[in-house]
Amino acid sequence: MEKKKITYAQAIEEVERILERFNGEQMDVDELGAQVKRAADLIRLCKEKLRKAEQEASEALEEE
Amino acid sequence: MPNPVTLSRLQSLIREGIDRAHPLPYWVTAEISELKVNYSGHCYIELVEKGGENHVPKAKANAVIWRTDYRMIGSYFSAATGGQSLAAGLKVLVRVVVSYHELYGLSLRITDIDPAYTLGDMAQQRRQTIERLQRDGVFDMNRELSLPEAMQRVAVVSSRHAAGYRDFMKELSASPYRFEVTLFDAFMQGAEAENSIVEALEAAADRSDEFDALVLIRGGGSQSDLGCFDSYRLCYFLAQFPLPVLSGIGHDKDLSVADLVAAVPLKTPTAVAVYLKNGAAEFDARLDALSDELSARCAELFEGQRTRLRECAFRLGQAASEGVHGQSLRLEQLGGRLRALTSQTVRSGDERLASLSVRLRQSVRFGIAAGDARLDNLRTMLRHRSENTLLSRAKALSLLGDLVATHDPRRILERGFALVRSGGKAVSDADALRRGDRLEIVTARRTIEAEVVKVE
Repeated sequence: MEKKKITYAQAIEEVERILERFNGEQMDVDELGAQVKRAADLIRLCKEKLRKAEQEASEALEEE
Repeated sequence: MPNPVTLSRLQSLIREGIDRAHPLPYWVTAEISELKVNYSGHCYIELVEKGGENHVPKAKANAVIWRTDYRMIGSYFSAATGGQSLAAGLKVLVRVVVSYHELYGLSLRITDIDPAYTLGDMAQQRRQTIERLQRDGVFDMNRELSLPEAMQRVAVVSSRHAAGYRDFMKELSASPYRFEVTLFDAFMQGAEAENSIVEALEAAADRSDEFDALVLIRGGGSQSDLGCFDSYRLCYFLAQFPLPVLSGIGHDKDLSVADLVAAVPLKTPTAVAVYLKNGAAEFDARLDALSDELSARCAELFEGQRTRLRECAFRLGQAASEGVHGQSLRLEQLGGRLRALTSQTVRSGDERLASLSVRLRQSVRFGIAAGDARLDNLRTMLRHRSENTLLSRAKALSLLGDLVATHDPRRILERGFALVRSGGKAVSDADALRRGDRLEIVTARRTIEAEVVKVE
């Protein structure tokens, strides 16, 4: 559900926030797996969006 | 005393004397002052010679024309004078026989007449009247009036009972045109004629704005007197009458002075009516002709205008097709230019778009690549950081393990310490213990049960 709502920019921001938490040693080990999974998911989501945008751009440019 | 004689004897003596003294007829000049024809056809006349003092005649005498003579003399005179009958006011040259009658007295029996004398006198009178009217400057006045186109409102001076008036009315009524006739009744003959006609003329003149013309008509019969129509006073009035005068006095020979001054002199009352009818008919015909001419002119005008319109329409059509042709040429030129401009614009637009497209592709590629790189970078960072974290936590744990190992109670027990438990719990506070409480004392190898004996 959330995948559809979150924008690319929000996703990147969240990934950066997660990475920031690693820096400050605040990362709880219990959370770590979940956080890494979340960040990896967001990165995958962004990749998908990027691919989709690329495809759309390419299709749009082809249409002319 | 001499012997008296009877009146009849005396009269008879006078008659004899007169007969003896005047056996032959005389030609006598005189003016008729009165004339009447009695029921039996005899004509009784009073002859005068004017010129006495105080308007009293110099001489006066009764005369008679016996019936048989009167028939001849009357018609001869009338024929010779162009319709003038014997009447009062005429100067005459007559042949008379002086006669005396015991009962009727002196009388002049007229046996012949010389109309030339009367004519001469009339002509002289007439001439005098004309000259006087000319001297007064009125002679031409009525004839100088312009005649109305159609005269339908007419004032008639005539006698109501005159045959001429009836003829006039009868003739007019047989016309398809409507005439308004107003009669000003007057005596048309006799001694009173002149005054009566002048009075009627005055009455008509007072209402002159109600009429187009004045008609003066008389008797119509052959027997009438024309004297008053040569009179200065009547003609003076007629000549200056404010409306055109149409005369129908009835004469065969010379015109009367009234006829000479009248705008339209006509012979008879019927002729006047015919003149009026013809005038109306001519006017009507002229109106018809004008109407015809008008419609002909209109038709001409319309035809001309139609032709002109047709020409205009033709020229307009030509001009229009020329205009359309020119405009279509121009449109074609414009279209050509538009097409050229369009294709040029499209071409340059295409070029621009192509270059934009290229740039866009590049941008997209760069953008995607940058995104990929960043995401890869993020992923790498994520991996590193999570591994680092895990590694550092593992180190900490091993340190903790060591620390834990040094504090292991078994080792402490092996070193001789024992753990006291009460009720399954380690006793850390001995104050809670009471005598008799059961204790477990755990050593390194054995567990000893004990009982609290004393707490100090």
